[in-house]
Amino acid sequence: MKRHAFNLALAVATPLLLVVVWYGTSSSSTNAFFPPLRQILSRFADLWLFEHFTSDILPSLGNLVVGFVSAVVLGVALGFVLATVPLLRAMFEPSLHLLRGIPPVALVPILITLVGFGNEMRISSIMIAAVFPTMIATIDGIRAVDSGLKDVCTVYQLSKRDRLLSVYLPSAGPQIAAGMQVSLLVAFIVMIASEMMGTAQGIGAMTLLAQQTFMAADMWAGILLLGLIGFLSNLLFDLIKNRVLSWYIGSKKMEKVS
Amino acid sequence: MNPSSSALASRPENEAPERRRARDYDSPVARIALRAAGAGILLACWQLTAVNGVFGPGLPTLGATGGKLATLMGDPGFWIATAQTIWLAVLGLAISLVAGVLLGMLIGTIESVFYATRAVTEFLKPIPPIVVLPLCVMIWGPTNTMALVLVMIGTVLSTTIQVIAGVNDTDPVAMNTARSFGMGRMERLWRITLPSAASYIGTSVRIGAPAALIIVVVAGLLGGAPGLGSAIYRAQAAGDYPGVYALVLVLGVLGLAAQNLTAAIERRVLHWHPAFRKVEK
Repeated sequence: MKRHAFNLALAVATPLLLVVVWYGTSSSSTNAFFPPLRQILSRFADLWLFEHFTSDILPSLGNLVVGFVSAVVLGVALGFVLATVPLLRAMFEPSLHLLRGIPPVALVPILITLVGFGNEMRISSIMIAAVFPTMIATIDGIRAVDSGLKDVCTVYQLSKRDRLLSVYLPSAGPQIAAGMQVSLLVAFIVMIASEMMGTAQGIGAMTLLAQQTFMAADMWAGILLLGLIGFLSNLLFDLIKNRVLSWYIGSKKMEKVS
Repeated sequence: MNPSSSALASRPENEAPERRRARDYDSPVARIALRAAGAGILLACWQLTAVNGVFGPGLPTLGATGGKLATLMGDPGFWIATAQTIWLAVLGLAISLVAGVLLGMLIGTIESVFYATRAVTEFLKPIPPIVVLPLCVMIWGPTNTMALVLVMIGTVLSTTIQVIAGVNDTDPVAMNTARSFGMGRMERLWRITLPSAASYIGTSVRIGAPAALIIVVVAGLLGGAPGLGSAIYRAQAAGDYPGVYALVLVLGVLGLAAQNLTAAIERRVLHWHPAFRKVEK
């Protein structure tokens, strides 16, 4: 018990200690790359809290959400079709794996040549890059549906619609969710990359601009903000996932206990 | 008794047509033919869109892209860039692997270290390396070092987390057996913990290899590090659209090769592991 309390204290104290050490050791720093944390935080407050909130943060997040959500819808739909129609799967799966092998960020220059530098480019880059993890996870998840479950569907003579929506989808749910989580990360990466390539708007663009003009504190503020968004978006996804898949997590726990 | 036996009897009949159809798609000739047809349809869509000029010069035709690809194959600069990209990814991944195994063993075997580092790793885990790209470019400039550091930053944490999971998954019976044989702490780490974590290390390589390749490309594309990434950037900036497409296709092939190669190596190196034994037969 005592040991448990000690471990808990350790878990809480270490990150705090790290921040304090960073603050303390950097407070009189004159290194051009590592400005004092105090200065970074004050720039963070100046830049991101309100001044650029509506002009840069909101558009970035909007692109992320729109791109991610449409990627997920498209990925699940395409994955469903490919997994349930063997002919299509045999035809297109190898090509899809080649497309999946392309680094997501390399799609940004292609989309720039196709649709220019506007917002459409960013959203479509995010969408196309993020569609693959969800789609592949959906295909694998549906292929892995227990054959006993399929037999039960046949015995109960479920309609195709019932089969897909009330048996296959929940059964593949955990795997689809795992794919969606990867999609979210990819969407976040492409969001930053699409802003860093030749545009002046968005968090990524501001951060890269700060680097190019050697405004170290501004750049650090951008890195902090991007890090926070990456962490919080993943946390939010986890919360939603745990709620939606609570039946699955519960059944896993039961399995472990028994 | 009777209805159940009739249900059993009718099952194979019910499944027979479906299974036969599945087998048709699985025969080698049919598989190759279908793959070719699928790829052909996708390429035809591309060609039609390009010829009709929906996207203007931004979408080159198949012929232009293929021609550019052929020129690239004869261009030593392209091969140097490719070699550089692969080398940076492999080197960065190898360093991360060694560091990740050491860190993971340290964190996984000592409980207080595990708790002390937990919040930090959990916070950093979902943050991609592209976030710190501006910092790396500021410190190292558009160089190989910058790309290498970025690859290490991007892959060391996931390796460490995998190794920690592997260490926690060590069979306690094997551990106690080793202890009763009088093995020392280091010997147990080397002969029990490390082999137990081997499949987790394999997983981290399989995830890490495509990730490392992607990070090198990002470092080139956005940070100007040498390699295929900056080649794409230059082609795009110069309006050489067939070049952009040809290079991106090359990256697709490289990414696919990285995935398949690491999976094959994993199977070969870990053939003794329970997870792979059933695949072997």
